[in-house]
Amino acid sequence: MEDLIKRLEGYKEDIVEIKRPKERRIFVRVKADGFKKFLSRLIDDLELRHLSTITGVDLGQEMELLYHFSYKYSVEISIGVKVPKSAPKVPTITDLIPGAIFYEQEIHDLLGIEFEGHPNMGPLILPEGWPEGVYPLRKEYTVQELNRIARGGG
Amino acid sequence: MVLYEIVGVFIYPGMAFLFGLAFLYEWIDRKFFARVQNRIGPLYTGRSGILQPVADFIKLLSKEDIVPASCERPVFSAIPIVYATLPLIALFVIPITGSALIAFEGDVIFLMFVSALITLTVFLAGWSSAGSFSRIGGIRSALQMLSYEIPFGLALIGPAISAHSLSLTKIAQWQAANSSWFLWLQPIGFAAVLISLLAELELVPFDIPEAETEIVAGWLTEYGGRRLALFRLGKDLELVVASTLVASLYLGGAQPLFFIPPVVILILKSIIVLLLISFVRAIFARFRIDQMTSGMWTYLLPLMIVQILLVQFGIGG
Amino acid sequence: MSYGSTIKVPFGPQHPALKEPEYFLFEVDGDIVVKVTPRIGYVHRGVEKAFEQETYLHNLYLAERICGICSHAHTTCYTQTVEGLIPLEVPPRAVYIRLIMAELERLHSHSLWVGIAAHEAGFDTLFMYLWRDREMIMDLMEEISGNRVTHAINTIGGVRRDITNEQANKIKKFMDRFEGNVKEYMKVLETEQTFLKRTKGVGILKPRDAISLCAVGPTLRASGIKSDVRADDPYLAYGEIPFNVITHDGCDVYARTIVRCEEMIESANIIRYALDHLPEGKIRVPPPRTIAPNESVGRVEAPRGELIHYARSNGTAKPERYKVRSPTLGNLASVCQTLIGAHVADIPMILAGIDPCFSCMDRMTITVKKA
Repeated sequence: MEDLIKRLEGYKEDIVEIKRPKERRIFVRVKADGFKKFLSRLIDDLELRHLSTITGVDLGQEMELLYHFSYKYSVEISIGVKVPKSAPKVPTITDLIPGAIFYEQEIHDLLGIEFEGHPNMGPLILPEGWPEGVYPLRKEYTVQELNRIARGGG
Repeated sequence: MVLYEIVGVFIYPGMAFLFGLAFLYEWIDRKFFARVQNRIGPLYTGRSGILQPVADFIKLLSKEDIVPASCERPVFSAIPIVYATLPLIALFVIPITGSALIAFEGDVIFLMFVSALITLTVFLAGWSSAGSFSRIGGIRSALQMLSYEIPFGLALIGPAISAHSLSLTKIAQWQAANSSWFLWLQPIGFAAVLISLLAELELVPFDIPEAETEIVAGWLTEYGGRRLALFRLGKDLELVVASTLVASLYLGGAQPLFFIPPVVILILKSIIVLLLISFVRAIFARFRIDQMTSGMWTYLLPLMIVQILLVQFGIGG
Repeated sequence: MSYGSTIKVPFGPQHPALKEPEYFLFEVDGDIVVKVTPRIGYVHRGVEKAFEQETYLHNLYLAERICGICSHAHTTCYTQTVEGLIPLEVPPRAVYIRLIMAELERLHSHSLWVGIAAHEAGFDTLFMYLWRDREMIMDLMEEISGNRVTHAINTIGGVRRDITNEQANKIKKFMDRFEGNVKEYMKVLETEQTFLKRTKGVGILKPRDAISLCAVGPTLRASGIKSDVRADDPYLAYGEIPFNVITHDGCDVYARTIVRCEEMIESANIIRYALDHLPEGKIRVPPPRTIAPNESVGRVEAPRGELIHYARSNGTAKPERYKVRSPTLGNLASVCQTLIGAHVADIPMILAGIDPCFSCMDRMTITVKKA
């Protein structure tokens, strides 16, 4: 794990901070510019083949995407990048990691982040007839409002 | 005389007796199947659950019958009655009491004809239901028939050739007269008739047309209430046909033993066949339709041809 | 027979092959599937949004109900994640009790699955035998925790109930019997021709695809990849207990069945070892009510594969964000891949092969279907 940290520190230009709260857990925050290139280099360098999942977090003015990679299935490296809520666009990583396809679709459904280049940005979880632009996991929607919409409000 | 015949057709050994046998056989099948699976099976209705099939039948008669809007109404409604009647007709030519209600030269061919009609009825049931699961089930049933029909026919013909007769009654009597059963004279035929009957009755491993986990209930899907009750009765009657047919054709038929009347002997023999069928049902998984057709044509048919050739050369009676 | 066009076959949401509703649109050419489009979300219950509304302790019970079969795995992961946030260390006896319950759950889940696989193949007799054994496992779990499913034995900071010596002996005796039974069933499965015909060569997932599509759990291990969160990222006491990671090179549904059967035998061994080495001591420590801003990832090997939770705290008693990714969603991409090129008749078998637990996968709001 120590030499993983050392190798990560080699990417000084892209990384904003590295946290290691406990054994086999690393949290890396990176800049949004050149994110895809950085990720592609990191995947090749560390051979990060297994993507556990992608988490989207609504932080108010911006949204954060956390890519949880698994180094040799053992160390969990979570790579976080922020995007502004007004323009939530990120390049897709399905060309690097085909298994990301449903994770990105789910985040698009629930948080409205667009993944440019994704093969199928259609709804995965939301039902037919769900109003456009209502992203349930965003903070501005309360549970009561979502229930109203689900019951046929709108 | 007429009264005698009416009693014969309707009571014994006619319809009432046969319905009773059908329910009894269903109970035996379910109980045995359950015990093989470490379950108990029917338990509460009647002693040891013996009235369960009757209870199920009566319950179904009282249920609401929903007819799909886009089905072919006349065919859809008529099929259950036809399906329940055909095995009954088949049973009339099987010598259950030592002599059949209707016996004539060529009733073996008649039996094959009735069994083909039954499969046609199944296909029509699936087709007229207008649901995709039903259609697939009906088509699979027809496809299955294309595979087992010829071996089945050959398995019926083998004993007929040896006994020089196309009448089931005469074939059964031939075995009694010659004190040898076709079970050991033509063993391949016995195996083939059992396998083909499993396919015709649509029991595991050949319950493909009704494969519950793939196409809901196949051709039976859209039927409920009274129509389903008639279908289930038809299935039970088919079970009786199958077991008594094999008992008559291969196990010596109804012969008296000491003081026991021949009909009891035949029923005992057919129950043995029934248990065999139940046991096979419990220990195998289900084939896929293409595996079944290729298996039948590659293995069963050549074996039956060999069997018939053996019979022609005098081996096996 | 194809004229260059394909037929669209809908599968679900109600279908007897699916124990829970999900919708798959298959495009088939003759009898072969050429494309799969899943639409999930039929049991979506809004769990992730609900997590943000309640306290950490309340959310424990919500996490438990994400899934009935792997409820203990979810609470183990939840407590691991939240205890990582605080951070809080759990007493050793509690760790071992959690581990024993987790392995018991793995046993009950795998025996459920092998029974279902037999049922899908038409082999009802084996289904009945396995579920009879499963009943006995659920009775054991009821003795320990009071419930057959959703055991509620985990809490933040430890476990709520202890295992008495008497219960421990009962479990050990049953494990011996169960292991013998499983070995018998394996012998049947390996030699029963009708079952083999339905599962060998069906649903092939090549190792390369398994890795690139991020498959998890027995599906991944049945393609020969040696990966198990219990061994790679040891949590609870798995680092101290010797066990084998079961793999198989078959890559088909048959391999997945064998992997699960052998995992059941391994679990029986783990349980016996853990019961013999159960440490003394307390079973819980009290957690704080509010948690300072922090983030944490918890990973657990649920019966279906890698289960991952992510939590972020903001200094209050309620989480800022809680994310759950259950193993069935992880396997969705790879199962869609295996379905392409399969016979239509094999679809139920293949779908069952990943041990789908759609309520785990969806976790979202009940959406009332509009008329």
